[in-house]
Amino acid sequence: MGSIRRGVFRSVRKTTLYIVVAGIAMALIFPMFFLFTFSLMSDYESYSEWPKPLLPRIKVEFRLTPIESVDGSYKMEIWNNSEKGFTPFGPEENTRANKSLRKLSNFIRNYSNCFISEKELSEIMDSVDQNGAETFILKKKVFNNYTRFFTLYSGAAQSVLNSLATAAMTVFLSLSIGGLAGYAFARYIFKGKNVLKLSVLFVRMFPPVAIALPMVIILGKIGLYDKPVGLSLIYSVNQVSLSIWITASVFMGIPESLEEASQVFGASKIGAFFRITLPLAVPGLAACAMYSFIYSWNEVINALILTQFNPTFPVVVYRSLLGANAQVHLIAAGSVAQALPAIIFTLFIRKYILQMWGGVKV
Amino acid sequence: MPVLELKDIAKQYNKRVWGVQGMSLDVEDKEFIVFLGPSGCGKTTCMRMIAGLEETTRGSIILQGKDITDLPPRDRGISMVFQNYAIWPHMTVYDNIAFALKLKKLPSSEIKSRVEEVADMVKIGTMLSRFPGQMSGGQQQRVALARALAVRPKLFLMDEPLSNLDAKLRVIMRTELKAIHQRTEATSIFVTHDQSEAMSMADRIVIMKDGEIVQVGTPEDVYFRSADIFVAGFIGTPPTNFFYVDVKKENGCTILDHEFFKAELGKEDSDRLSGYEEIVLGVRPEDFILNKEGNGILKSQVLVVEPQGAHQVVALEVEGNIIKTLVPSDHSLRPGDNISFDFDMRHLHFFDKQTEKRIS
Amino acid sequence: MDNPTGVLSREQKKKIIPYLLIAPVVIYYILFWLLPVVRAISGSFMSAPADEGGVFTFGNYTALFKDPVFYQALFNTAFIVLISVTLEFVLAFGLALLINMKFHGSGMFLFLALIPMSLPAVAVGAMWTSGLSTYGWLNSFLIRIGILNAADKIIFLGGGHFAKMFLIIIVDAWQVIPSVMVILLSGMQALQPEMMEAGYVFGGSRFKVLRKITIPLLKPTITTAMILRIIAAIQIWLIIVMLFGYNRLPVLLEQIVLNVDKYTGSEAFFRKGMALSVVVSLIVSCVSFLYLKVSGAFDEPAGKGV
Ligand SMILES: Nc1ncnc2c1ncn2[C@@H]1O[C@H](COP(=O)(O)OP(=O)(O)OP(=O)(O)O)[C@@H](O)[C@H]1O
Ligand SMILES: [Mg+2]
Repeated sequence: MGSIRRGVFRSVRKTTLYIVVAGIAMALIFPMFFLFTFSLMSDYESYSEWPKPLLPRIKVEFRLTPIESVDGSYKMEIWNNSEKGFTPFGPEENTRANKSLRKLSNFIRNYSNCFISEKELSEIMDSVDQNGAETFILKKKVFNNYTRFFTLYSGAAQSVLNSLATAAMTVFLSLSIGGLAGYAFARYIFKGKNVLKLSVLFVRMFPPVAIALPMVIILGKIGLYDKPVGLSLIYSVNQVSLSIWITASVFMGIPESLEEASQVFGASKIGAFFRITLPLAVPGLAACAMYSFIYSWNEVINALILTQFNPTFPVVVYRSLLGANAQVHLIAAGSVAQALPAIIFTLFIRKYILQMWGGVKV
Repeated sequence: MPVLELKDIAKQYNKRVWGVQGMSLDVEDKEFIVFLGPSGCGKTTCMRMIAGLEETTRGSIILQGKDITDLPPRDRGISMVFQNYAIWPHMTVYDNIAFALKLKKLPSSEIKSRVEEVADMVKIGTMLSRFPGQMSGGQQQRVALARALAVRPKLFLMDEPLSNLDAKLRVIMRTELKAIHQRTEATSIFVTHDQSEAMSMADRIVIMKDGEIVQVGTPEDVYFRSADIFVAGFIGTPPTNFFYVDVKKENGCTILDHEFFKAELGKEDSDRLSGYEEIVLGVRPEDFILNKEGNGILKSQVLVVEPQGAHQVVALEVEGNIIKTLVPSDHSLRPGDNISFDFDMRHLHFFDKQTEKRIS
Repeated sequence: MDNPTGVLSREQKKKIIPYLLIAPVVIYYILFWLLPVVRAISGSFMSAPADEGGVFTFGNYTALFKDPVFYQALFNTAFIVLISVTLEFVLAFGLALLINMKFHGSGMFLFLALIPMSLPAVAVGAMWTSGLSTYGWLNSFLIRIGILNAADKIIFLGGGHFAKMFLIIIVDAWQVIPSVMVILLSGMQALQPEMMEAGYVFGGSRFKVLRKITIPLLKPTITTAMILRIIAAIQIWLIIVMLFGYNRLPVLLEQIVLNVDKYTGSEAFFRKGMALSVVVSLIVSCVSFLYLKVSGAFDEPAGKGV
């Protein structure tokens, strides 16, 4: 009797647990999923359908009908999912004239992300002449927005390179000098340690924007303004301090006696570090590096202030977002492109991220 | 010439804490030295100074005639078994053992044969490709031993290498270590908490207290000729019993006078005690001899009996102090029984009441 | 090291090693943090750059303190920080406890929960602007699953002052909770399970053990997570600008950016922005100090480690 009750209680608890987990998972996934859906939408889907589709369409249905009053001219229609019917699409009258065909083909490409050649269009017109109105289905180029984003916002491709360069240098800088200090924190007791420990917090307290302004002048003087190197110098202000914490925690997790043992068995102090401590620290350090990478890859406001002709990728996306005729599906494409490395990063470090933070404390 | 000379080495950790206050010791070739002492007395500190892991605050360390005080650990030719193993978790057992050999750039065939040799010695020959994470504590400890053996060191330091083994394995390993020592003839320093380990393994025992050496000697020395009250009380289970006694002369004989007993000394001991009025008498538990007639020197009542196989520990109360004696098990005794003892007069220990040093 | 007769003894060398290790960080921070900070502070007391005839003045600060928007921004920031840090902590703690239960699929769930943390601010901005706009996906979703009629859409972004703030708090929480959760979770996993098990053995209920054992043991971790969060929360602005635009819901950081970046060309605004950034960093340091003091982080003995 009691055991049955306990069994019921247990399964109720388990069910509740999974309902809660599923709910949270939904709340996490939905916004990201919809952003992704948006990034796959054509202009037409994004502006002419309401409510908006929640799943991206991969095929689009068109209908071409002859216009009775004017011989040799046709009306193009597109299937509207929310109105459940065909609605007019493109120029009111389309003829077999080269110009008209090109116009229609371009329109279809630009507004529905489907590709059809002029020749194919005129063939369809031929068959319409014989059989009357004809519907045809075109495959949508789902990732068209992504290519369009990079062609529309000039410099987007270059900005990706700038972002990569900046991120690489930030990682290098924060991991090298931050890692050295982190090692000192983990292994030595020295005067001023507590002051330094708090100053690591302290550097985060001054708003980065406020530092960026005087930096414009400082970087200008040393010729690093509007260059990835200059930017990485600023980014590292936050990242070096974080790296100190994280690497200190990683190194503390590796007993000092392992190093000492290797010294007894013939390694130098430096050799001991490279042979024993470093290999053991690699996962934690890699996670730390990824942190720096992602911060640098994502950062926007300092980049806005400290670059002019060489913006980073986030700046380009940000500008497109605040641009006058913001096209939401294109921006979504840009955003997803920007977010992708972040998600891949999470996939890689999820095992180490906990170890990385394990020993951190103020 | 001694292999290792410690000349008044000391280690001060900070203003208040001394790890070692000052130690001088000569270790002869092929000797097996055991450091013994209560927790926190500086055994590990001393080992770490010898290995070069800890700088000395004072004094010098001389190995085979060469001053190594300021040499980094790797140049000392010493190997060590760490108290907590310090096996590298990212290397296989083989790589752990071969580490030092590879650093010495030995040919790989030589490395292989040496690794296999020491691995067999400590019976982990079949586990060479495993990672330490896949081994039990005892097996890891053997890896630590093998790693230390593989380098064929001038000096072999072992910091409580058997502490994490179960009691049975410990006794087995004790014998094996002794055998390994006899085979390799490596001069060794061994730290332990365990007296029986120390007694059974050591050529000489170094007894430490509060960062200083109190006695150096063979197991027999420290047991039968304990240098002071601390050593006599520390060595032996149960420990030595102490009595404060007056030294009196009666009828030309020297008599130890205690409230509860009087003991008459022989000629030799009388000479030793001439000039003393009050001393501390130490009597080991096994030096109490049961007097079946009941007219021995010391009379009391049995408080507790702890059977221990061939012997039983019989506790008595004398003048508010608990006295522990060792009695063969064939006497059946119960709490409350009247009991009477004689002393084995050959093995009495006399200590100066002020300095607590042995009177000899 | 190989030369014991060198200028420095081994002991002395060992003493200076930590200083050598931290030297690059110290130099770096002097050049790229202290220097700009000093410039920003001194600049906030100047009417113009010194070489352009600027003089010492408190004018930038008086201009700032006379500006009613400053007080609005102060209030809004304080409100958002208070509510969001509390909310985020509670939810993150719950989430960490949940994941720490190690149910079937918790690894996957952890991965999911970590993603928002690493998303770029701009992507998050795009996500919510496309979601919360009147013709955005949230309304579409609500209509499609039948909660709303196609005709009546909710105007998320058009709410009043407090509605705006709560919206920001929710949107911010969505992104930030994972980073708090990660720190708490790693703290939990570093605890020896025996500590809690002992609590159960000696008769503690789940809640009692959590309150009397887990949370006190986690205190250093909690302090870390909270202090990092507080510092970051006071500096919230980008998401607000992306959702509402400038000056719709003034907060401190947004005002700095507005003054120094948007009103370019005006020396007075620029200087006011600098003064504001000094004020903000004072606020951040005071709040952090207070928090650390109250949470007792200063009482712990110094030793190895961070
Ligand atoms: N790193 C250190 N800093 C300060 N004091 C220390 C340090 N290491 C050891 N001590 C102190 O030095 C003394 C000797 O310590 P040591 O580790 O040598 O003792 P031990 O004899 O090995 O003890 P055990 O048998 O418990 O291992 C102790 O009082 C200890 O508190
Ligand atoms: Mg020790």
